[in-house]
Amino acid sequence: MISFELSEEQQIVRSTMAEFGKTVLAPQARRLDTDSCIDDGVLAELWSTEIIQAQAEAVEEEAGSRSPVTNAIILEELGAADATLALAMASTMGFVQAIADQGSAEQRARLLGGFAGETFQAAAVAMMEPRFGFDVSRFQTKADKAGDDYIVRGVKAMVPLASRCSHFLVVAEADGAADAFIVPLDAAGVTVVEPKGALGLRALEMAEVAFDSVRVPSSMRLGEGNGADVQRIIDSARVGISSILAGLSRGVMEYVIPYTKERIVHGAPLAQKQAIAFNIADMHIDVEAMRWLNWRAAWALEARQPATRTAQLAYTYAGQQAMRIADDGLQAFGGHGFVKAHPLELWYRNARSLSVLEGAAGV
Amino acid sequence: MVDFSLTEADQRLQAVAHRENEIGRKYAREWDRNSENEPSRIRGIHPDVAGLESPHAALEREQEQTSGLVIAEALMDMVSATDVNLRDTGEDAFGSWMLNDYGTEEQKAKYGHVKLAIAITEPGAGSDPANMRTNARYDPATDEYVLNGEKVFISFFNKFDGAVTLMKGEPDGAGKTPFMTVVVTKDLPGVTEIPQFKKLGIRSHELSGFHLQDVRVPAIARLDADFGKTMSKFNHNRPLVAAHALAGARSMLDFTHARLAEAGLKVDYAKGRSARSANEDRLIRMEALWEAAWGTVMRAKWLEHQMGSESHGYRVEASVAKALGGKVVRQITQGCLEILGPEGLSEEYLAEKWFRDVRIADIYEGAGEIQRILIARALLGYKNELN
Ligand SMILES: Cc1cc2nc3c(=O)[nH]c(=O)nc-3n(C[C@H](O)[C@H](O)[C@H](O)COP(=O)(O)OP(=O)(O)OC[C@H]3O[C@@H](n4cnc5c(N)ncnc54)[C@H](O)[C@@H]3O)c2cc1C
Repeated sequence: MISFELSEEQQIVRSTMAEFGKTVLAPQARRLDTDSCIDDGVLAELWSTEIIQAQAEAVEEEAGSRSPVTNAIILEELGAADATLALAMASTMGFVQAIADQGSAEQRARLLGGFAGETFQAAAVAMMEPRFGFDVSRFQTKADKAGDDYIVRGVKAMVPLASRCSHFLVVAEADGAADAFIVPLDAAGVTVVEPKGALGLRALEMAEVAFDSVRVPSSMRLGEGNGADVQRIIDSARVGISSILAGLSRGVMEYVIPYTKERIVHGAPLAQKQAIAFNIADMHIDVEAMRWLNWRAAWALEARQPATRTAQLAYTYAGQQAMRIADDGLQAFGGHGFVKAHPLELWYRNARSLSVLEGAAGV
Repeated sequence: MVDFSLTEADQRLQAVAHRENEIGRKYAREWDRNSENEPSRIRGIHPDVAGLESPHAALEREQEQTSGLVIAEALMDMVSATDVNLRDTGEDAFGSWMLNDYGTEEQKAKYGHVKLAIAITEPGAGSDPANMRTNARYDPATDEYVLNGEKVFISFFNKFDGAVTLMKGEPDGAGKTPFMTVVVTKDLPGVTEIPQFKKLGIRSHELSGFHLQDVRVPAIARLDADFGKTMSKFNHNRPLVAAHALAGARSMLDFTHARLAEAGLKVDYAKGRSARSANEDRLIRMEALWEAAWGTVMRAKWLEHQMGSESHGYRVEASVAKALGGKVVRQITQGCLEILGPEGLSEEYLAEKWFRDVRIADIYEGAGEIQRILIARALLGYKNELN
């Protein structure tokens, strides 16, 4: 039965996250980008939302209490404040989700407790690889069976908060198919490469992580017996990223509206020019369209319906339109959009960055 | 709870709508070629569906089990292209709907039996009704209105008995000429029908218009419906205009997928951008446009279902659905024909027809630009400052 009705809990989470994003996160976005690092204070504030802990704890209670739809709503709100901090959460969420969703009882019991503590604990799905033409349908990272263990070889790229991660979920090809392996940061042969800096999402210190013949016991193969459903991890990541993009786009629109109403050009407010006003209308249209696509894909994940197509379409649409919105938003500010006094140039960089990532989030 | 599942009744109704479209498909080309010249061939209920329950009746019957009457209606509309309407039963008489909503008992008794179009547009006034020239002058001697003017682009006027016609009344004390609506029937002296327009697409959607020269109508012909009331069905209709066109785009996409599959290309939604061919990438982007618009139609219809069709509470969402639907169907049908290449141009297939048919959706019931003005005004808190 078609319904867009949010539960009471979802309404509360939505308004709480909106308020948190506006008052706590957004004011720090510029400083974090400049510092290219998220300080412990901000991480503690993120952790205080208990979003990750709730994912980890939900498993013990009832599997159904983790809700991708709720997570999509949360990520839109965080993304409206700052995409970088939203992804700091979403990246760890992606890892925790995958364990909660697909881990064996043993793996869940062993790992999830580490995300129920008092201080921020990062972890990440290590999916992307450092080469042009990389695609999630072909991994060069390999996991070869050696007795009871797997030997993981390869390099992963753009891993958010890499040096702060306790674990990586390394996606690698094993026996000709994509599979996922839980690898602790401190396993022998794991090296986090010094971050090179990046166009956007700078404070995440996205880095390469090298896996140099890392020995991983079979018990750390996600789900053990049958191996992992990597496509589900990709689908969930796509919805996570597109949810943040919807938020980012809304943030742009909400910033452009008051400015263009106040800025006078040739005798009238900018917003009264159709070229500007129509862009604003299109931003609104696209933010709405993105949100419903995201909810639909998240719903499919939640209801365990086939989600690959809707997740791809949500991700494709959001990536395409968010870039346009950030672009039009910057243009509406002219030179003021190009300089760092306003966040437009930051959003412009973040929109392009976020929309090309794969596997780096989860709902 | 957020839910995108369809009820069994929703799905049954979609199947009914789809079956009707499939039955009509074999007449699509013939009607496209001929109905502007020979509309007689599309009158009445076609024998092919005479024994079948109409989609409309099925919807009425099943509505309790659907996601909601107006939601299910839109779901049915989006299933596949309705190339021909096999049941010409007067449901498209929008003026008659207005009479029903706003007419007095006396007016319904007088005009209830005739089929009425709705006539707003004039050669010099489409998007901007303020330019309207058609006017009424009251003659107290006979208690009649005297009408003059011209209306164009009036859907189905040729097959109906008249039209509920929007026009300007006489200037009030402040010099303003208020809008008024009058029932104009073809039998009145001075009403001259103009020939059918020949169009790019939707050729079995008949389109004509009329001149009014000193046409005298009794005072009872004036409805208690101002401009706002004339427009009140727009919130309900706008997402449906999008839905209809999305149906054409759906058929176009399905056709394109099928032809490309024959040529060895099957779209894979799992892999990433780097592993796709150009055509595969474009198809995925067009599917994304389609589903994006689908979501906005569903959103508007869900709100309508909650608030009631007459509410203005979902007007922005109705405009969003109309604006996005109108845009994406252009992009999708243009893109598919480009991918299909020269063979897609042939009248052997319906692709070229769908390309022509959906184009209207961004024009009537408020063109895309008008929807954007309405949306932007709501966002910016503007009224006429933005026009
Ligand atoms: C098949 C068909 C069926 C129709 N059925 C009916 C019917 O049953 N009854 C009826 O009354 N009418 C009907 N119409 C008329 C239809 O509603 C009008 O064509 C439509 O409103 C646009 O008006 P116009 O054609 O005069 O274009 P114009 O108003 O001249 O617009 C031309 C272009 O300018 C744009 N534009 C207009 N104003 C602005 C602005 N302020 N800012 C920016 N851009 C602007 C428009 O969006 C459009 O792109 C029908 C038309 C067609 C083609």
